[in-house]
Amino acid sequence: MADASIEFKGSSFTLSVLHLRTSKIADIRADLIKKVAQAPDFFYLVPLVVNIEQLACTVDYQAVKRLIEEFNFTFVGFTGSVENEQRKLIRELGFSFVNTAKINTAKASSAKVTTAQKDAIAQESVATQTKTKATPQCHLYTDKVHRGQIRSGQQVYAKDQNLVVIGSVSAGAEVIADGNIHVYGSLRGRAIAGATGHHKAQIYCQNLEAELVSINGNYWLSESMEQHWGVPVYIHLTDSELTSSKLI
Amino acid sequence: MARIIVVTSGKGGVGKTTSSAAIGLGLALKGHKVVLIDFDIGLRNLDLIMGCERRVVYDFVNVINGEATLNQALIKDKRVSSLSILPASQTRDKDALNKENVGKVLAELGESHDFIVCDSPAGIEAGAMMALYYADEAIVTTNPEVSSVRDSDRILGMLASRSRRAELGLEPIKEHLLLTRYSPKRVKDGEMLSVEDVEDILSIPLLGVIPESQAVLKASNAGEPVILDTESDAGKAYQDVIERLLGETVDFRFLQVDKKSIFSRLFGG
Repeated sequence: MADASIEFKGSSFTLSVLHLRTSKIADIRADLIKKVAQAPDFFYLVPLVVNIEQLACTVDYQAVKRLIEEFNFTFVGFTGSVENEQRKLIRELGFSFVNTAKINTAKASSAKVTTAQKDAIAQESVATQTKTKATPQCHLYTDKVHRGQIRSGQQVYAKDQNLVVIGSVSAGAEVIADGNIHVYGSLRGRAIAGATGHHKAQIYCQNLEAELVSINGNYWLSESMEQHWGVPVYIHLTDSELTSSKLI
Repeated sequence: MARIIVVTSGKGGVGKTTSSAAIGLGLALKGHKVVLIDFDIGLRNLDLIMGCERRVVYDFVNVINGEATLNQALIKDKRVSSLSILPASQTRDKDALNKENVGKVLAELGESHDFIVCDSPAGIEAGAMMALYYADEAIVTTNPEVSSVRDSDRILGMLASRSRRAELGLEPIKEHLLLTRYSPKRVKDGEMLSVEDVEDILSIPLLGVIPESQAVLKASNAGEPVILDTESDAGKAYQDVIERLLGETVDFRFLQVDKKSIFSRLFGG
């Protein structure tokens, strides 16, 4: 378009996160020396976000940044579920505060969900942390409702939600949800339910003519859908096998 | 304010320019002040279809760059005085247009015209996006075959997300489906998608069905938009399109295999 030289877009990245458990710079330094010594090349110029939510009191933010850079990390900003005043303080010091896309600590679950989810920019990495990704429990998902047809080339993702499409999903379009997918029209494109590993996710549609359906990583191409092609069905998993059943 | 109508498709060769020419001329024949703009910079065709290729002095890009005034670049149609053509540049590429200046040109044209018909280039790149950006209405030209239908679907997605109306959250672009090169016989033989099939996939209102016709090629080569060929099926179908664009309800013709034509063909008629 006219301003083709630049374009702003949102993207998700996997970033390494350093969780601080103490505000004593000397202790952090000692542990960092040990950690970095294990794989110095691996950590060289790695973008790093510092999570401060486990700290009981404030830390010398500038000292933390200097420390991080001393070890040849690229400092990105701070993150964590903290009071707004503390965020403000961090910003006033000239540091960016990075909101996490996925909230998997108990502390953050209630209050911050809405704001944090909206500004999803960084996903915590499991690479440098022993903490593994929490396997999703039986969530009570909310619904993301899309009115109108989803056209070829369009992609709709309902993060941590069910996806309800009031309209058809065209061939070449893609609908993804961490929960269930309901299509109140024809499903001609791709539908991926339970995208982050939800075994009980289901796909419902008024007319199955999909290119691909997938639940929790198990997928069917259209040739596997012959049995219920062109009829209203729902698709679910039974013992890691996709199964389709007529809706009516 | 003029109605800005983009004739678009995604896929090439489906009849965008033929339809733009027919619709532009048809609206002008009804007494409306119409300007036809060729957005296909670098692949100028509209002037040929309109039969004014020898009269191109300045073009759209000259106007955008301030090298010519609109009045210098606009070519008055010799058949209908209320129709003008703004030709594309043949020597430049699609990057020669920019959103801001195109907006200014359209605003200026809008003051003195009832309809601005924009003939979009194929594809979904900058040129096609520029043609649809300012549109109030879109005529999505589609052939009854799967690849054309899918590309039209893609363009419909663009209309709903990349246009000015979408960006400003205004009332969305009014979408029309124009099915071209339709052959009832091949539909009956199962070789071609039917009107119903295409409507089902794209789910936008049908504006017209133009039957496959020898008259279209003849008209293109002669530089006489096919709507002037009032004897031909394609010409009649385009006239119906004009009526519908102007708010009339007209029955769809040429959707069934014409039994009489086989009969008359037998007798050489």
